[in-house]
Amino acid sequence: MEPKGYWCLQLHAHLPYVRHPEYPDFLEEDWLYEAISETYLPLLSVFENFINDGVDFRLTMTITPSLANMLADPLLQSRYYERLNSHIELAEKELWRTRSLPEFQPAAQMYERHFKECKRLWEKYDGNILRGFKELQDVGKIEIITCCATHGFLSLMDNEKSQKAQIKIACDDYERHFGRRPRGIWLAECAYNPGIDKLLKEEGIRFFFLEAHGILYGTPRPKYGVFAPVYCPSGVAAFSRDMETAHQVWSAESGYPGDPDYREFYRDLGYDLEYEYVKPYLHSDGERRNIGLKYHRITGKVALNEKQPYNPEWAKSKAAEHAGNFLHNRIKQVEYLSDVLGKQPLVVSMYDAELFGHWWFEGPDFINFLFRKMHYDQDVIKPMTPIEYLDKFPVNQVLTPAASSWGDKGYYEVWLNTSNDYIYRHLHKAADRMVELANQFPESSGILEKALNQAARELLLAQSSDWAFIMTTGTMVEYAEKRTRDHIVNFTNIYNQIKGNCIDGGYIEDLESRNNIFPEINYRVYK
Amino acid sequence: MSENLSSKIKGGKKNTSEINKSGLPDSYDETKVVLLPRDPVWIYVYWDISSHTKNEFLKKYKDVFDPSSISVRVYDVTDVAFNGSNANRYFDVKVNSNALSWYINVGEFNRSWCVDLGYVLKNGDFVTISRSNSMAMPKHGVSNVTDEQWALLQIEFEKLLKISGAGGLGKSSYDLVKLMRERWEEITKLPTSGVLGGASSSLVRKKETVETETVKSKEKTFWLKADTEIIVYGATEPDATLTVQGKNVPLAQDGSFTLRFYLPDGEQNYPIEAISSCGTMSRRITFNVKKETK
Repeated sequence: MEPKGYWCLQLHAHLPYVRHPEYPDFLEEDWLYEAISETYLPLLSVFENFINDGVDFRLTMTITPSLANMLADPLLQSRYYERLNSHIELAEKELWRTRSLPEFQPAAQMYERHFKECKRLWEKYDGNILRGFKELQDVGKIEIITCCATHGFLSLMDNEKSQKAQIKIACDDYERHFGRRPRGIWLAECAYNPGIDKLLKEEGIRFFFLEAHGILYGTPRPKYGVFAPVYCPSGVAAFSRDMETAHQVWSAESGYPGDPDYREFYRDLGYDLEYEYVKPYLHSDGERRNIGLKYHRITGKVALNEKQPYNPEWAKSKAAEHAGNFLHNRIKQVEYLSDVLGKQPLVVSMYDAELFGHWWFEGPDFINFLFRKMHYDQDVIKPMTPIEYLDKFPVNQVLTPAASSWGDKGYYEVWLNTSNDYIYRHLHKAADRMVELANQFPESSGILEKALNQAARELLLAQSSDWAFIMTTGTMVEYAEKRTRDHIVNFTNIYNQIKGNCIDGGYIEDLESRNNIFPEINYRVYK
Repeated sequence: MSENLSSKIKGGKKNTSEINKSGLPDSYDETKVVLLPRDPVWIYVYWDISSHTKNEFLKKYKDVFDPSSISVRVYDVTDVAFNGSNANRYFDVKVNSNALSWYINVGEFNRSWCVDLGYVLKNGDFVTISRSNSMAMPKHGVSNVTDEQWALLQIEFEKLLKISGAGGLGKSSYDLVKLMRERWEEITKLPTSGVLGGASSSLVRKKETVETETVKSKEKTFWLKADTEIIVYGATEPDATLTVQGKNVPLAQDGSFTLRFYLPDGEQNYPIEAISSCGTMSRRITFNVKKETK
């Protein structure tokens, strides 16, 4: 039976490239390790169980090139594995510590199971979990899409060649991990302006995602609003966001993740227990920080020390209840929309992947229950990937979407304001210089070629929109400023060495070993 | 959340890029002006003026030249191939003499803009230093254009806009960070009844914490809380296997161990056993602890 409508879930998994072999222990690498344990592996586990249980499911997922490069990096893999083992050791100690604390024991048991499941999956893929996601893509259950190479904010680049390089390098790198060209892309921060679709077309990309007003303010008017994709003049399809599903998850007041039964993010063992007990699990500076074992639930609007013990069973049944509620609302939504539109609507829900698990601990459970209910309990709405939609419904309206982003206020202000605007003159200058170098040296070999490739890596790393984002949010600003500065300085040094014909091989190789993203990069894309 | 960065970067070796790290230059000694859109009505303009350019202007305009008097001339170049004199209109924005960038509200939606950076001479004339790129601003509002093949009635379109969530703005990573921060601020603003952190938290304290009657009275004028924990510690050969209550306990490098438990009422046994690495020798110590609350 034909469903009344379709649902497209798009999860955007991204972290900036953070890798510091020059230090034995580096705080910001935790972003990756936490996301692996809390989001990427739990999601992979949920998806694998769908396959094992015969649950048909579909979703689209960005694995950004910078994230993919970290997940494929042997140093970060071994550091994560070490950390995972230490978490397992702690979880075992915790089982024992809480054996006479019945209100905390269930959570301790849950953590022990959780970390051991992480270990099982990690070992199954020999530490390269990209392989797990690739297998799911190869059997047609998930569509992995790429993103701008280093999450560069294309609409704030003034040189088309540096926009092109962000896309081309991403597509080439995707092939290295997933064995074919990408069919879709997530433009970093959904930042789009007319013309970018042409660059996507050149790389064979068939679709990308847009914020709702990107389509609603498009020219001419969109006949189906955000409930059907459109073709840009270049022929690339744009899918835009449904706001109702966005608010159900994101809303501070009524969103699911704030439920009193869910795990409290801010109450962590790293601060709670006796110092000597937690010290082995802290960073080498010994400062108390989050460890990731949390034993309390949100409870309500109460102070941290009044948070009540976390009950994994309650949380799980709440996730099931919320999944049921979400599905119920989708059914109502597509029934209504199919009447209004006179066709089967497509509802596109897009979220940061790290919301599920890292911020909202029960998020992977929610996804688990949601797809199971969708599969077993109804036939009104069916999950679908953008490619499946375009194959089934190849005729769509052509329009020029409006420039937009999915950031606060809908445009570029999060990435362009007085806290971060100073970076653009340097990013633009470096991009112009990169193009100059590529044109001056179309042929090169040996250390010159290495230097040119490293210059491209430094430029790309400086362009990560994450740095501007962090400067705006005001947390870890120093690190973001340092990264921007370091990569620009590295780039400028290489540029001067090349122009002055005085390349310092040791310097280049040191940078190559540290900032080793895109091992197969070819600087000639800047020509 | 880990907020403080200064202590994070550690571990002997210095980052080599710090050797030549002197921040970023204020100027690349070139002359250019760049326009970036921030949203449908605000543009960001940044510029650089080379010393050569400054000297040229000084030579050319001598006495009437004032290097500190800089303006940005904003041209509406909507639907025009701009040649410097065919703009739909323009307006000038005086900027601070030491500014290197400026935010400008263009005041009108859905237009294209270009700017000239210029000196204002002492005689009031505006002389262009450099011209920016032209930029069509992000579109604001629904298009008036409809496509015959995909047309629909105005009333239907309005309904569609409403269900599409027009007017409401997106939620993204930034909102997530804001949301989490607001939650944190909310939590920290709430009155707390004790210091959080260390072993004093409720995590290691049972709910049946002994409270005197006074605690429960509404006045809370005087109160007492007390509870117990036990610390078991010792040492053996570093390569030995140690169990406490039958559970393996990892040893520190020097063979020592420390364990800490909540101590409930009643009698608790803590059997401790060490087995040598060759498996042939063992030692056993058992503590019996009795706790009674009165």
